[in-house]
Amino acid sequence: MTPHTVHTDSAVLDPLEIAVWASTMAMIAEEMGAVLIRGALSPNIRERRDASCALFDAEGEMVAQAAHIPVHLGALPEAVRAVRACAPDPGDVFLLNSPWHGGSHLPDLTMVEAIADGDRVAGYAVVRAHHADVGGMSPGSMPQGATELVQEGLILPPVRLERAGIPDDDLLGLILANVRTPDERRGDLAAQRAACAAGAAGWRTLLARHGRERIAGVVQGLVRYAERRATARLQALDGARGTAEDVLEGDGISEALIPLRLALRIQGGQLHLDFTGTAPMVPGNVNCPIQVTRAAALFVLRSLLDDDVPTNAGIARPITIVTPEDCCIAARSPAAVAAGNVEMSQRITDLLFAALADAGVEVPAQGQGTMNNITFGGAGWTFYETLGGGQGASAHGSGPDAVHVGMSNTRNTPIESLERAYPIIIDRYAVRRGSGGGGIHRGGDGVVRAYRVLAPCTVTVLTERRARAPRGAAGGGDGLAGENRLNDAPLPAKCRRVLTTGDVVELRTPGGGGHGVTEPGSPTDPH
Amino acid sequence: MTVAAGVDVGGTFTDGVVIDPSGRIRTGKVMSTPQDQGIGVVAALEVIAPAASTDAGDQVTRLVHGTTVVTNLLLERTGARVVLCATAGATDLLELRRQDRASLYDLSAQHPTPLVATADVVAVDERRIPGAVATPLTETTVAAVVREVLARDPEIVVVALLHAYEDDTHERRLAEALQAARPELEVVTAAAVLSEIREYERTATAVAEGYARPRVVRYLEGLGARLREAGRPMPAVMTSAGGMRSATDAARHAATLALSGPAGGIVGAAAVLRSIGVPDALTIDIGGTSADAGLILDGEPLVEGGGLVAGVPIALLRVLVETVSAGGGSLGWIDDGGALRVGPRSAGAVPGPAAFGRGGIEPTVTDAQLVLGRIGLEGFSAGIALDREAATAAVARIATRLGSTIERTAQAMLDIANAEMARALRRVSVDRGVDPRTCALVAFGGGGPLHAAALADALGMTTVIVPPHAGVLSAVGLAIAPERREAAMSLLERLDALPVVRWRDACAALAAQVDGAERSWSLRVRYLGQGHELTIAVTPDDAPQALIDRFTAAHRARYGFTLPQPVESVALRHVASTPGVAARFARDTDAAPFDAERAIDHGGSADITFHGPRSILLPDATAWIAEGWVATPLAIGGWMLRREAAR
Repeated sequence: MTPHTVHTDSAVLDPLEIAVWASTMAMIAEEMGAVLIRGALSPNIRERRDASCALFDAEGEMVAQAAHIPVHLGALPEAVRAVRACAPDPGDVFLLNSPWHGGSHLPDLTMVEAIADGDRVAGYAVVRAHHADVGGMSPGSMPQGATELVQEGLILPPVRLERAGIPDDDLLGLILANVRTPDERRGDLAAQRAACAAGAAGWRTLLARHGRERIAGVVQGLVRYAERRATARLQALDGARGTAEDVLEGDGISEALIPLRLALRIQGGQLHLDFTGTAPMVPGNVNCPIQVTRAAALFVLRSLLDDDVPTNAGIARPITIVTPEDCCIAARSPAAVAAGNVEMSQRITDLLFAALADAGVEVPAQGQGTMNNITFGGAGWTFYETLGGGQGASAHGSGPDAVHVGMSNTRNTPIESLERAYPIIIDRYAVRRGSGGGGIHRGGDGVVRAYRVLAPCTVTVLTERRARAPRGAAGGGDGLAGENRLNDAPLPAKCRRVLTTGDVVELRTPGGGGHGVTEPGSPTDPH
Repeated sequence: MTVAAGVDVGGTFTDGVVIDPSGRIRTGKVMSTPQDQGIGVVAALEVIAPAASTDAGDQVTRLVHGTTVVTNLLLERTGARVVLCATAGATDLLELRRQDRASLYDLSAQHPTPLVATADVVAVDERRIPGAVATPLTETTVAAVVREVLARDPEIVVVALLHAYEDDTHERRLAEALQAARPELEVVTAAAVLSEIREYERTATAVAEGYARPRVVRYLEGLGARLREAGRPMPAVMTSAGGMRSATDAARHAATLALSGPAGGIVGAAAVLRSIGVPDALTIDIGGTSADAGLILDGEPLVEGGGLVAGVPIALLRVLVETVSAGGGSLGWIDDGGALRVGPRSAGAVPGPAAFGRGGIEPTVTDAQLVLGRIGLEGFSAGIALDREAATAAVARIATRLGSTIERTAQAMLDIANAEMARALRRVSVDRGVDPRTCALVAFGGGGPLHAAALADALGMTTVIVPPHAGVLSAVGLAIAPERREAAMSLLERLDALPVVRWRDACAALAAQVDGAERSWSLRVRYLGQGHELTIAVTPDDAPQALIDRFTAAHRARYGFTLPQPVESVALRHVASTPGVAARFARDTDAAPFDAERAIDHGGSADITFHGPRSILLPDATAWIAEGWVATPLAIGGWMLRREAAR
C-alpha cells in the first residue's frame, strides 16, 4: 500500500472512522435478518436459515450483507442490477428468481425494495430466501432430471409486487397459484417484506441523520477499505500460480463425468481465474449462472481474509473471471440450474482451493464438497433439507465434524420439529465415525441420517462426492465418499424415487480429507 | 438493626450492599478471591455489615448472592463427569449441534467440545413419536441401561429422550431405576429441566444442568459453612431470570445460575426506574472487558428463554442480556487495511490499561478516557492511582502511525467502542420490536456512565439515567431481589380449538407446583408452522379468542403483518414470586453535599444543573456529560441526562 493511496482514501473516509461505520452498516443488515427469521413460516427459513439479507446504495453498490449463506454472497449484486434495469420508482418492491435476471436457482426468491427517500430511490434492501416450493415438475422444486429451466418451477424476471407502496394482489395471487404450498409461501413472503422494510427504515434514518453526500462518501470509503484489505492479502501472495481439475459426478440425466478446469494467477493484488477447459452446458440441472461462480470465488477469497473484513462490494473488485462461451458454470437460458447453485457451486469452491494449494497457498484439505440435498413431497406437503458432513483438516488442526462446508451453512431441522410437521420419522441421526481422512490432523467425520416415511411420497436426492472422495492434503488420507441407500440397497447420487409407507432412505455424507503424513510414532489428533 | 444484604462476585471486585429496615442503602467493595469466591463474600459482608460491632451492629437476616461459579465452570470446562442416556439412533446430538459451522469463513474453527464425552453416552432402546410410543421402554432395556451407566461410574447422570417434552414417562422410569440401583447417584431428567420441543437445545440444557450441579452444590455447601462460621445466614442465590432462590433450591437448578451476575444489575436498574416512574429503558453495564446490554419494559426486566453461555445452549428463562467484548480494558490497534480498531482483545486486570502502571503499553479505552480528561486521576475504583503520562504515551504510539493527533485518536477509540455497544443495544431492542427512541438508557457499572451520552446519541435516545450506586448496582439488585419460582409445561394446542376447561386446568396445574404471593402466566404462541414464538402475558380467565387476538396484535406490532393462519400455543409458563426487600433510593443526608467546584457527587444533597461537556465524579464511577447534554441530580441519588436540542 502506497502512502498516496492512504491519502486519497482518507479524503473520503478517515481511518479513524472506518470501524464505526462498518459496524453501523452491518447492524442494518443484521436487523433485516432478525426480522426475516423470526417472522418466516417455513422450517427452511426459520430453522435452517437458508436466507441472506443485504443493503445496497443508490448506485447499486453492496454496502453490507448479513453473514448467513456464502452462496448468496456475490450473487445479490446481480439481482440489484436486474432490478435497476427495470427503472424502479421509489417504493417499488420487486420479486425475482430467474437465473438470467440476477437469480440463482428458482427456489431462491429474491425480494428487492427500491428504498424511497422523498422522490428518489436512495438504495436497495434485498432479501433472498430459499422457498420450499416454487412449482415445477417435482415437489420442492429441486427436481432430478430437469433439462429446461421451465421444468424447475415458476420463473420470475424482476416483477413489481408493490408499486410505490401499493401491493399488486393479482400478481401475488398468480404466484401463489403456481406453487404447491401457497399459505407457507405467503407467510415467508410477508416475512421477507417485513425484513426489506426494516432495512429501508434503517437506511433512511442514516440518510436523514448524516445527509446523502456524507453517506455516499462513507459507502465509498468502506468499499475501498474492504477492497484494500482483500488486495493486501493478495499482494502477500503475489506471483502465485496454480492449476486444478475436478469433476462433477453426472448431471442427473447421465452419469458422465463433467470436467472442470481452472488456471489461477495472483498478480498485482488481483485474483485471475481462468476456467478455460471447463465443460459446456449439460442437459441436466447442475449448470449454474455466472453469479454463482462469482459467489464461489468471493467465498474462497473471503476465507483467506480475516473474519472481520466488512462484507461489501469492495471484496469482489480484485477478482477477474474468464469462462468459455458455452460453459456449465456460466449457463444461459434455457439451461436447467436447480442443482447448480447447491452442487456445482461446491465443486467450483473445491477447484479454487485445489488451485490455491497447487500455487503453494496454505488451505485446508477438501471438505465434503456437497450439500446432500434431499426433498420429500407428498399430498399437500414438501420437505427439503441439506446435510452437513466432514470439513477438511488443515495445518492448524483437524477438520470439524458434521458441519456444512463451502457454500452452505444452513442449520439442521430438529428431529422433533420435522416429525411433528411431516409424515417422516428419523430412525438415525449420527456422526459417521471414521469417515474423515487420516493424517497428522484428521478430516472431519460426515453424518448419517435415515428417514422412514409414514405415507406414500416421492424422494429426490441431489448429492455429490458419492464416487470420488474428498481428497486429503499434504499427504493426508482421503475422506470416505458419501453413500445413499433405499431400504439398505444402494441409491444413485442423483435420483427420484416413489416411496411407499415404511420405506427408509439413508444418506451417509462424505468425510473431509486429512492433512499431513502420519509417520510411525508421530502424533495424530485424538479422535 | 436487621438488614438485607446483596453480594455480587465479579472478576476483579466483590461488591456488597446492605439495606436497613428504613430502606437505606450502604455499599462496599473488596477484591475478589477467585480460588474460592466465598472468602470474598464473607469479607464483603464484614465491610458493609461488621459482625463484631454487635451493639450498634447489623444482623444480616437475608443474603442474596450473585455468583460466576457456573459461568466460570462452563468457560473453563471444569464441571462434573456426566453420563448421558439418549434415545438409540440419536445419541450424537451434542456433537451434531445444529450442523452450522463455528465460523463462516474460518474453515478450521471448531465448536466448543461437548460437555459429555462420546464414550459416556448410553443408547436407550426406546422411541416416542408425536402422540405415541413407537418403541416401548422394556424392563430388559432399563436393566441394560442401568448396567451401562454404572459401569462408567459417573458423578451424575442426565436422561434426555426424544419427544419427552410431550410425555416423560420413559425418562422418569430410567431415573427411578438408576436411583434404585445406586441411591446416592444423582439423575437429571431433561423434561424436568426444560419441557420444550427441539431435542438439541433441550438435551444440551439438561446436560449443562448435570455438568454444573455437583460443583454448585459443593460451592454452596462451602459458602454456607463459611457464612455459618461468621454468624451469617444461609445465602440465597440470584438466577439468570432475575429472581432469587434459596441455596437448597438453587443447588437443584444449577443451570439457572449461568447469568446470575448480569441479572442482578438489570433487577437493580428496574427498581431505580420504578422509583422515578420511568417504564421503558435499555440498560448498559460496562465493565473492564465486556459490556452487557439489557431491556426493561414496563418497569420489569425482559425475561425470555434461550441463548448461549460459553458456547453452551441454555434454553432456560433468563433476563435478556447481550454481551459484547468492549469495555474499559479493550485495546486499540491498527489492522492491515490501515483502520483503527478497538477490541475484542482486552488488557484485562493484568496488566490492565497503560494508566494503571502495571506494565501495559498498548492503549485501552480507559486510557483514551483519561487522555480526553473524561476521568480524573482520582476517579477510579478501589484507590487505583492513574498515570496520565503512561496513558498519553500509549495512545500517542498508535496516533503517530495513523498520522493523527492524540486527542482525535483517543476520541476515535471511544467512538469505535461505542459503535459496538450501540449495536448490542439495538439488537436487544429491535429484535423485540422495541424502538430505542421510546426508551431511556440506564447506564451503570464502572464504565456505563462514561459512555451513556454517546450511546444515546447513536440510537437517537434523549434521556439517560445514571442510577445511584451505579458502580455496585448489581449488588443492589441482589439485595432487593424478589423470590421467584417458575413452572412451565409444553402446551401444543391450536387456540381456535382449545377448550376453556383445558386452558384453566393447565394454568391451575402450574400454579399448584410453586408458591408465591404474586402470580403471572405467559404463553408462547405462533402461527401454525412458524418456528419462533411470541410470548404474551395471559391469565387463567382469558378466553381462547382473547389469546388469539393478543397474539395477532403482538405479531403486527413486532413484524408489521399478520397471517390468515391458525394460531397455536407452544408452552405455558408460570411465575410465582414473593416481593423482595424495598429499597428507598435517596440522597444520603449524612454524606457531604455536592462539591460544585470540582463536580464531585459524594452521595449527599445536590441541587445544580450542569451543561456538557464535563465530568461528574460519582462515589463509585464517573459520568460524562457530553456536549449538548444537560445533567440534573435525581432526588433518589444519581443523575438524569437530557439532550438539550435536536442534533
